[in-house]
Amino acid sequence: MLLAYKLALASPRIHASGIEASEFAVEADRHGVHAVPAIVVDDRYAWAGSVPETAFVDRVLAALGD
Amino acid sequence: MNVLGEREREAVASVLASLEQDVSVMLELGPAAAPVTLLAAGGGEIDPGDQTRAILEDVCSLSERINLEVVERDEPGPWPRTTIGPGLRYLGMPLGYELTTLVHGIVEAGRREPSLTAASRGRLGALERDVAIDVYVTPT
Repeated sequence: MLLAYKLALASPRIHASGIEASEFAVEADRHGVHAVPAIVVDDRYAWAGSVPETAFVDRVLAALGD
Repeated sequence: MNVLGEREREAVASVLASLEQDVSVMLELGPAAAPVTLLAAGGGEIDPGDQTRAILEDVCSLSERINLEVVERDEPGPWPRTTIGPGLRYLGMPLGYELTTLVHGIVEAGRREPSLTAASRGRLGALERDVAIDVYVTPT
């Protein structure tokens, strides 16, 4: 989650939220979350698990198709 | 009311001592759009709003650089919602490891320069539209 925050602080284009999955179970189910941390990019499930910064940026950009 | 133990308070205060500039923290409370029942280890029911408020008041009291604002909403929504600085959001109770992440999120927002590497900043600088990143977590 901290990496998502760092991205948001580095780019005004990025908006980052941490979401506690058990309190927001409806949203977690809607996004197909089965393990945490689970990363959702632009309302679409992207991946689960912690990754280093470079891989995190890679995956966010890949999820966007950029 | 202090919800953190003395050792936790000392550790959090030590981390927050690295803040380079003032940081605003806003907590929004109100009726949950999709209420769930959360039980504590002893079986008692937890009020996420009350718990989050107590945690944030405790954490934010540990640095003069943090300004906490609590807003009560009447309409159902994604409460409790915490917003740090320019828009880092956390929905729910920041318990366990997520409290650590929240504290470090405050520290990141309190830096004069982003801590992301120049290479990553360069790649993100090419973004031509807004992007929402949601990270689902559970308290551990």
